[in-house]
Amino acid sequence: MGNRKEEDYNFVFKVVLIGESGVGKTNLLSRFTRNEFNHDSRTTIGVEFSTRTVMLGTAAVKAQIWDTAGLERYRAITSAYYRGAVGALLVFDLTKHQTYAVVERWLKELYDHAEATIVVMLVGNKSDLSQAREVPTDEARMFAENNGLLFLETSALDSTNVELAFETVLKEIFAKVSKQRQNSIRTNAITLGSAQAGQELGPGEKRACCISL
Amino acid sequence: SLMSGTLESLADDVSSMGSDSEINGLALRKTDKYGFLGGSQYSGSLESSIPVDVARQRELKWLEMFSNWDKWLSRRFQKVKLRCRKGVPSSLRAKAWQYLSNSKELLEQNPGKFEELERAPGDPKWLDVIEKDLHRQFPFHEMFAARGGHGQQDLYRILKAYTIYRPDEGYCQAQAPVAAVLLMHMPAEQAFWCLVQICDKYLPGYYSAGLEAIQLDGEIFFALLRRASPLAHHLRRQRIDPVLYITQWFMCIFAHRAGLGPPLSHFSWPHDRSVKIIFRVALVLLRHTLGSVEKLRSCQGMYETMEQLRNLPQQCMQEDFLVHEVTNLPVTEALIERENAAQLKKWRETRGELQYRPSRRLHGSRAIHEERRRQQPPLGPSSSLLSLPGLKSRGSRQKLEKERQKQEK
Repeated sequence: MGNRKEEDYNFVFKVVLIGESGVGKTNLLSRFTRNEFNHDSRTTIGVEFSTRTVMLGTAAVKAQIWDTAGLERYRAITSAYYRGAVGALLVFDLTKHQTYAVVERWLKELYDHAEATIVVMLVGNKSDLSQAREVPTDEARMFAENNGLLFLETSALDSTNVELAFETVLKEIFAKVSKQRQNSIRTNAITLGSAQAGQELGPGEKRACCISL
Repeated sequence: SLMSGTLESLADDVSSMGSDSEINGLALRKTDKYGFLGGSQYSGSLESSIPVDVARQRELKWLEMFSNWDKWLSRRFQKVKLRCRKGVPSSLRAKAWQYLSNSKELLEQNPGKFEELERAPGDPKWLDVIEKDLHRQFPFHEMFAARGGHGQQDLYRILKAYTIYRPDEGYCQAQAPVAAVLLMHMPAEQAFWCLVQICDKYLPGYYSAGLEAIQLDGEIFFALLRRASPLAHHLRRQRIDPVLYITQWFMCIFAHRAGLGPPLSHFSWPHDRSVKIIFRVALVLLRHTLGSVEKLRSCQGMYETMEQLRNLPQQCMQEDFLVHEVTNLPVTEALIERENAAQLKKWRETRGELQYRPSRRLHGSRAIHEERRRQQPPLGPSSSLLSLPGLKSRGSRQKLEKERQKQEK
C-alpha cells in the first residue's frame, strides 16, 4: 500500500473515527496520515481531519479521515460529521473497560446518522500497554463478530496494526463499491448509500473516466 | 521567565512533541511575549508595538477607572467602551477582565468558596475526563509544558471546582482551553470566577449537555453570514453545517489551535468588546480564509473547504489587521438579538422546545452591571457594613441564585 501524490486519485472514501475521549483517536489519525505520535496531542474539540492516498491494486484511494470529539456532550453535534461517511473506526482503549462498555451506544449513534452500508471496524487501541489490559481480546472479537464488525487491536504508539486497520477498512469499502459498480454498471454515479453521500463527490469517484477497476 | 523545573521536563518531552515540534536545544529558553516556547502558536514577537509613553498613559487611565469603577460604568460607559476598543493594556488585562465581567465582585462576595469547592471530593466521572485533558491544552506554553506542573495543577483545581459549583453542568472539554488562557493572566481563584462569568453570562449554555446554545449561535452566525457574503451559499451547497466550523472557534473563544491561539484570542474575548466580537471575528476569519467565491470553486467538497478554513492566513494573525476588519462590521448586539429571536422561532418550529433558557445571554459589562443593580439596588450609606460576607447580601444572593435556577428548569 504505497503513498502517491495527493492530487492523483480515483476514489475518495470518507472514514470517521469515533469512541470515548482519550482512547487515542487523534493519534491513530496522525500515525496513519503523518506517521506521528504525540503524547500531548490536544483535546479534540469539534473535529480534526486529515487525508492519505493509498493504492489498492491499481486504484488510488484517497482516505478522508475525520476525527471527532469523544466526550458525550459533543454527540449532539458530531452527527453532522457522519454525513457521507462510508467507513468508521470505533475505537476503545483496551486498558479501560469503561471505554469498551459503551461501544454499543456508539454503534447505535453511528447507525442512526450514517449510511446503513457503512463499514465498521472495532479497534482496541493501546495494545502496547498489555500489562494494563482490561478488555480480553476474545471478548471484543466475539462482540465484533456478533455485530458484523471488523476487529483489530492496534497501538498508535508503536504503530502495531495501524496501517492494517485502515487498509482493511478501505479494502472492504472498495470491495463494496466495486460490487455496487458491477450491479449498476450502466448508471454513471456510484454511491454506497443514498443520494446524500453521492452529492459531495464523497464515496463515489472523482471523475468517471478515472476509474480503472 | 521560565519556571524552574519546567525546562527540564520540557526537554525530556521534546522527542514526543510531534508535528508542532519546532523547538530544540537552547532556543527553548526564550518565550515570546505571550509565554509561548514554540509550536504553531509561537508568535516570535518579543515586545509590544505601542510606544512606552502611550502605554503608560493608558495604564494610568485604566487604573483611575478601576478606582471609581461603579461610577464609570453607570455614568461614563461610552468612555469605558471607547477605551476598551482602543485595547486594554496587557499589563492590566487580568484586572480589567475581572472588573468588566464582574467576577471581581463575585469573588469578594464568596470568600473561601473556591477553597471549599477545591476540598470537596468531586464526581469521579468528571475528574477522570479532566485529568485526561490536563496535558492536552497548550503544551508549548511555559505554564502548561510540564506534566503535573503548576499550570496543569491550577487547571485541574479550576475545572474540578466548576463541576462542583455547577453539578448540573459538569465539565465540557472546551472549558479547558478557556480556563488555561485565564490562568495565563491571573491566579487560580480569580480565573475560576472569571470562568464562571463566561459560562453564566456571556456564553450561557455553550458547555451544557445537548450543546444547544452553540448550535443556535451557529444558526445565528450563518444568518449574519448570509446577509454579508455569498460565501454562505457555497457553504450551504456543500452541506457544511455551521457547527462544523464554529464549534472550535466559539467554544474555545478562538484560543484553540485552529483559531487565533492564546496570543491573539484575548482580542476576541467578550470582556472588552461584548459577545458580538465573537461573531465579528468569526465573520472576518471566514471571509479571509475562504476568500472569494471564485477561489472557493476550487474546493471540490466539504473536506477541501474545511481544510481551507483550518489554515488561517498570516494576515488574520495580526492584531492591527483584525482590529481594522472587525471595527467596521455592522454586526450589533441588536442585530444578534433579532437573529436570535428568528432562529429560536425556527428551532422551536422544527425541533421543539429547548432545554436551556436562550434569553439568558448578557452581551457585555454594561448588561452585567445593570443586572447586578437590579438584583442588588444600591443601599444607603451603611451599605458597606451590610455587604460584609455572611450578612445580608450573601443571603439574598443565594436566594436569587436559587430562584434563577428554578426559573431555568
